[in-house]
Order: sequence, then structure tokens, then C-alpha cells
Amino acid sequence: MTFKNAVRNTPQLKETWRPGLGALRAQDRPHVDPSDPRQLKGSVDVDSALQKKEPNAHRWDFAIGYRHANRRGDCIYWVEIHTANDKEVKVVLNKLRWLRNWLVGSGSLLDQFERDFVWISSGATSFTLGAPQVKQFAELGLQHKGRVLRIPSERQP
Amino acid sequence: MTTLKIQNLGQIKKAKLSFGDLTVLVGPQATGKSIALQLLKLMVDAGQVQHEMAKYGLDWEHSLPDFLDIYFGEGMRFIWQGERTSIEWEGMPVDLPQIAKRKRPNKDETLFYIPAQRVLTLRDGWPRPFTDYTPGDPFAVREFSEKLRVLVEQEFGASVDLFPQERRLKREFRDLLQHHVFSSFHLKVDKFRSQKRLVLGPEGTRVSLPYMVWSAGQREFVPLLLGFYWLMPPTKVSTRDKISWVVLEELEMGLHPRAIAVVLLLVLELVARGYRVCLSTHSPQVLDAIWALKHLRANGADAHAVLDIFEAENTQSMRKLADTVMKKVLKVFYFDRETGKTRDISKLDPSAEDEGHSGWGGLAEFSGRANRAVARSAANAERRISK
Repeated sequence: MTFKNAVRNTPQLKETWRPGLGALRAQDRPHVDPSDPRQLKGSVDVDSALQKKEPNAHRWDFAIGYRHANRRGDCIYWVEIHTANDKEVKVVLNKLRWLRNWLVGSGSLLDQFERDFVWISSGATSFTLGAPQVKQFAELGLQHKGRVLRIPSERQP
Repeated sequence: MTTLKIQNLGQIKKAKLSFGDLTVLVGPQATGKSIALQLLKLMVDAGQVQHEMAKYGLDWEHSLPDFLDIYFGEGMRFIWQGERTSIEWEGMPVDLPQIAKRKRPNKDETLFYIPAQRVLTLRDGWPRPFTDYTPGDPFAVREFSEKLRVLVEQEFGASVDLFPQERRLKREFRDLLQHHVFSSFHLKVDKFRSQKRLVLGPEGTRVSLPYMVWSAGQREFVPLLLGFYWLMPPTKVSTRDKISWVVLEELEMGLHPRAIAVVLLLVLELVARGYRVCLSTHSPQVLDAIWALKHLRANGADAHAVLDIFEAENTQSMRKLADTVMKKVLKVFYFDRETGKTRDISKLDPSAEDEGHSGWGGLAEFSGRANRAVARSAANAERRISK
């Protein structure tokens, strides 16, 4: 199944698929830099799509589909664009917890895809690559990626 | 700001270094950091270097290749690439062949150089004199070694304990060093068959551990400690003679991160005393400290926050040190092996788009890759695989 089909067959998201980075707000698009934009398989604004249904939840921002040159299927980059400082760690980890719960429930079709959970900094970043917080994120499956997520042509293990 | 520009010297294709009060050079092995630092010494101390060489019978016969082999070390004549090589110091072109050709008047030394090879300066626990080395050994090593010899023979004279010494280093530093480097041991002078030597041993005992049984870190640290003694004389004057620059190569060698933190604090003490310090390092901890200092300053944090990083006591004297350091200019340069050029990464922005910058000149690269691998495995471990 492709990313696009999985979104269209997920009842809570079905009309929200957009080509390329179309689901991202204009100010958020520079935060994502695909090596080959033709391999973008669309995007979804998860936060907006679920706002009515789960208004008080810590909703995740976006999902972006991409086909890497060394992969047969689409890969999903689950992207949260958020201030990166110690105060926000708890908020983003709550969002990650919400996303993973949603994926095993209502979003189960999207749970099959190879993926990265990525926190992109919307401004300055207050932790370094070697910081203990970043290790904590890694253990929980979250990558912190500075201000720009670069999606390479080939996906590393 | 004092600048040094280098083109086509050794591995360096193009370097532009503007020195702050504390300047840190990072980059992979053999990218020219040491060449740049030794060149800095030559720029500020050419007369003194030539005088010292001549004093010990070294004669380069006005030849630049011979001069380079003596000064940088054997085989280093090949760093010079003829007309392709150019050097600019403080905005003025430097004619290196001319420096080798004509002897400059001897001036007081202004730059004290602590080389990476400092562990070689002690033989059987005693500093080696300048003439104990071969002519092919780098000048910086020989000169540092000679300084240590003079220090222990002349300034300590008949005293038995070199560490701790009440009149050397602030009490707060002595406590940290005692705890993190020497454990409960003292650094002492004793005699073995009439030969003086440095030994470690518990206070008030006759037990003495000779040089060969010290830990690797202690062997690395003792020459560094003597270097700090040289730079911080036990007088009311805060600096030594006319020395205004200090180069310290790879301060982290052999040391546990807690000991590195103490050495870094000692470096900040040098900066607070008014020395302009240049470091080369492969330790991300050094850049962590610079990064923290910059942010603490930007956030208007107080001295206590600085001292907390180093687990230093919050005393009046240490707060003064921290306050002084917070006002200093801190610079970081990355020697990029791929391009042979240097990059100013002083902002140390972890979210910089340039990976050389956000990865802090490669020092955080490994952590980044380890984080990515773990995050990816954790993200995909429980996903439902489509059938």
C-alpha cells in the first residue's frame, strides 16, 4: 500500500492528503528539504485533521511520505515543528506518546510503514547532539533534527 | 581582532583565524591545527625562537627548508609550497623565507606553548633539557621541556612537595585537582641513587610511586600542571614576564571528563588573568563549555551558573573568575579536511544547516549517528508490518 492510499483509507484523515509538502503551512515548508522532491509521496496535516475530534489532545503536526531510492515502499516522516528547549521536552514527548497510541488505533494503516519520528526546531535549539535529553528522545524513537530535516535519496539503516 | 591568514601551507589550503581571548581549533587529525598554532608562535616570537635555536647550537644556514625542519620538526620542510604559500599576520603579508634568512633581534618571549607531545618531556620522572632531544624534534616540545626543567630546578629548589603547594594555584583549584587527578596523593621530589625525580605518594609517608607506575592520565597531567605553574607565578603579578599568549594543544589527553573539567577551569583562569589562550581539542566537552558560556552570557546568568558547570566552589574568588570570563571573546574554528579550509563556527549552533557547524567540526558527529540509529530502531521496533 502507498502512503497516499493508507491516508485515504484512514477515516479520520481521508480527505486531508496533499501532494508534495502541500499540507505544511508555507512557513513550515523550509524546515523540510527532500533530496529529490519528485519522490515526495504527499503530506498530511495531522494536527488540523484531528483538531475537532480530539481538541484537547497533544496532537502531532505532520506526516510526509517519501520513496527512497533503496526502498520498495514509501517511508513516513512524522514531523513535529516545535520550539526546541528544555521547557518543551515534556510537551513534545506527550505528543509522541499520543501519536504512537493513535497509530496503533485509528491510524493503524499508517503504522505499517517504515518511519522516523522527527522533532524539528522552529527556532534556536538549546540542546546539543551529545545532550542527555537527545539520548532520551532516541530511546523513545524520536530524532531531534535542528531546524531542517534533510531527507536523503537513500535511507541508511 | 588579531588575524592570521594562511594559504597552501601543509594540509591547509586556506585558513583565516581571528583570535579571541579564548580561541579553540577543532578538526580531524592532520588537518593543520598544530601547524597553524606553531606558526602563530613564529609570528609573535620569531626573534626569541631564532635566539633559542642559536643558543643551543642549531644552525639552519639561512635556509628556509632547514629552518622548517628544525622549527616544526623533521620532514616538515615539505609544508612550504614555494610561491603558492602565503601568510598574512595582522593584515600584513609575511615573508617566511626572509625570516629564515635574516636573524631577527631577540625579544622577550610573548607566547608560551604547551605541546601535545608533553608526556615525552619527562624521562624517568624528571624534565629533559633542550639538548636531550634530536635536532629533528619540534622546537615547541624542546622549549617546553626546557622550561619545565628550569621551573623544577630553580623555582622549587629544595622544596619537597610540588603539589599541593600553598602558593601555587588557588585553593579551590588545588582541591579539585586533588580530588579528580591525584586522588589523595601528593606530587613530590625524591632521590633515587642521587638522581632527583618526581614521584607520587600519600601525604606524610615515605611511600613513593615512580613515574612509570603513574596512571596514563597522571603522566599526561603533570607536565601540564608544571606549565600552569609557569604561567601563574606565586607573586602578586598575575602573568609571567612578557607572556601574553598561551597555546595549549589537546588539553584532554589521557584525562577523565571530570579532570578535563578542572583543566578547562584552569584555562579560564588563564583567560581571566589576561592571557590570550588558543586551544586545539578533540573533546566535545571543551565545546560544550564554550557553548554553555555563550548561552549563559546571552541569558544574563550569574557566575554561580558558570561555576556549576565545572562543579567549582561558589567562593568570591571563583565568582570573580566566572564574571571576568563571561565578558571575554570566545572563538571556535573548524579545520575541514574535505576542503582544506577553516570555518568560523563560533556560534556553535546545534541547529545550523551546515553539518560541519551543527556537528561541531565532527566532534558531535558520532553522537548524532548513534542517536539516529537508536531512535530509528525504537521508532520501527513495534510497527505493524504489512503482510
